Amino acid sequence: MSGRVIHANYVDAIALPRVVWLRPNLIGLAFPLMKLLPARFIVRRALEEGELRPGGLIAETTSGTFGLALAMVARLGGHPLTLVSDPAIDAPLKRRLEDLGATVHIVREPGPTGGFQQARLAILERVLAENPGSFCPRQYGNPHNPGSYAPCAEQLAHAAGAIDCLIGTVGSGGSVCGISSYLRLIFPELEVIGVDTHRSVLFGQSDAGSGRLLRGLGNSLMPPNVDHAAFDLVHWVGAAEAFLATRRLHRDHALFMGPTSGAAYLVADGWARENPDRLGAVIFPDEGYRYQDTVYDDAWLEAKGVRLDVLPRGPVEWEHPHDGDDPWAFFRWGRRSYAEVMDRPGASLKLVQA
Amino acid sequence: MQPALLLDTRDAAANPAPEAPRAAPCAAPGADGFRVGRGEIHAHHGEIVQGMFYSSDGTVEHGLVTLPCTLFRTGVRFRPLRSGPLTVEPGDRSRAKAAARLTLAALGRTGWGGAIRIESNVPVQWGCGSSTTDVLATIRAVADAFGAVLEPEWVAGLAVAAETASDSLMFGPGRAVLFAQRRGRVLLDLGGPLPAVRVLGFNTEGECGVATLTLPPVPYTAWEIEAYRPILGLLRRAVERQDAALLGRVATASTLIMQRHRPKRHMSELLRLAREAGALGVQVAHSGTVAGFLFAPGAGADAGIERARDGLGRLGVPASWEFSTGPAPHPEDPS
Repeated sequence: MSGRVIHANYVDAIALPRVVWLRPNLIGLAFPLMKLLPARFIVRRALEEGELRPGGLIAETTSGTFGLALAMVARLGGHPLTLVSDPAIDAPLKRRLEDLGATVHIVREPGPTGGFQQARLAILERVLAENPGSFCPRQYGNPHNPGSYAPCAEQLAHAAGAIDCLIGTVGSGGSVCGISSYLRLIFPELEVIGVDTHRSVLFGQSDAGSGRLLRGLGNSLMPPNVDHAAFDLVHWVGAAEAFLATRRLHRDHALFMGPTSGAAYLVADGWARENPDRLGAVIFPDEGYRYQDTVYDDAWLEAKGVRLDVLPRGPVEWEHPHDGDDPWAFFRWGRRSYAEVMDRPGASLKLVQA
Repeated sequence: MQPALLLDTRDAAANPAPEAPRAAPCAAPGADGFRVGRGEIHAHHGEIVQGMFYSSDGTVEHGLVTLPCTLFRTGVRFRPLRSGPLTVEPGDRSRAKAAARLTLAALGRTGWGGAIRIESNVPVQWGCGSSTTDVLATIRAVADAFGAVLEPEWVAGLAVAAETASDSLMFGPGRAVLFAQRRGRVLLDLGGPLPAVRVLGFNTEGECGVATLTLPPVPYTAWEIEAYRPILGLLRRAVERQDAALLGRVATASTLIMQRHRPKRHMSELLRLAREAGALGVQVAHSGTVAGFLFAPGAGADAGIERARDGLGRLGVPASWEFSTGPAPHPEDPS
């Protein structure tokens, strides 16, 4: 946190976000690689609790930034690492993981249900069974994933004092649920807005149909770490809107972040305009380098039908998290459990507004 | 920051006469000059926060930040004797006697005796640091008898050696510190005093207390240990900005965690009452029975304090008292 500190290693040096004003009432938490927090904490706890021996094998299924974070932590800690991924993993990331000493398995065929993620889990179980004593971080169910975000909550509380609203994308349930669980101890009235994407099952949509173009948020399976009762409001943001907002974040604030950051920024910027007297904080989970040939390439965007000169229309309120196709929508979740919301299809929540 | 002297309590038990550190100023009036020494100190009203905190080397330590209270004070007179017994009045204050012996040895007066007389209005076993005030006022009185003024970090080492756990009262109200009470060292200097507040205090157990020094350590969960990070972050903000409202939030958060381990009577009613009365927060003695509603400084809180007082009466809390923290006078080192 302090510029005077010489950190023990690079993971410690970059684990916390840069904290930036985006508007007079909106703070950006720009992480170089957010997943370092859960990767570092989960491995540390596993060593303390005896689930992982010094030098023991770590195995996990991931195609994204958690794998990269885990590879950095495992390398520094002297642990061999096996990662099970799907073809969505890009070649530069795979090379970087392998340079850090990780063994990367690519699953070629999606499972009959649950897509590639289900297929990856099957392979992971085999690797774990074949290597007695190996440890799987299980970021989707391990409570130390949300539990790892206390240093970020500390940083925010110290830097900003009381905040009124936390906005972030939801994928594993780690960051938003973790940070808000700690912040609500000191600010019980904190509003929490989760950002999901279409065809993700997290907040009641189905993953049927074509795959999600926007990666890094949403999920085809329901992670136990998602604490639905933490959320006051849920937004669904489409790929085109998220890509556009990612570029706006770069153009307006020189913040070179990935598309999940764009999705969060779209929602947070709207919230900040509508709530000029309240203070919000928005989570930006990773940087833009992995997306230079996609989101940051105008030709690629054009091929996907995204025009940089067209502003997205404001969000449409859904009465229920049905399989709607409005490109940007929101629903008043009202801090209820998944069952409470989904067992009453069509139930309007207008009363929450009162 | 590192204290001038670290005393491990186990070592101290085996060898209760630590060497005088070079840093300790021992400016006696004459070669054997001495006088009747006086020491005085205010107590505290429990804590703003008490829990587990990461120290700079990554280990986790028990730590606390106390709420200074000018209602309660302890004064000690010490009449030294070159040879002869060391006596304490009242006779049951054995920790003060141990502290006097450690201080004499540390000042190079091994073998000296004398008479310690303690006068205190600090309630015993309420979690207001009565034992620590006995010990600290005694250390100050013994040092004063030889014209010595001791650094707070050094006093902390002696105090922990004398009573196994110590509060951070030696630093005075002008300097809030996160203090490792079982190790007698400062984990974090908050860089200034706590923001000023008005406090409506009471005892949740009527007139009763608890034997605070024999309480087992609280078995904090992994989540709770992490949760003290944002609490500490907010406390640093509260001190830097002198923001009483944030201090109230810090106190309530720590109170809520402690309620899971050492529940206080009527807590949900007390929290509701505090909210209704416009209090900024609720603090407790985490190892004791006093609690306090924190209000903003100034007359603006008068109505809220009155409302809270009435509410306490309805809950059957027999007595309450009021004090303010902040730039209030506090006894300085007796030099």
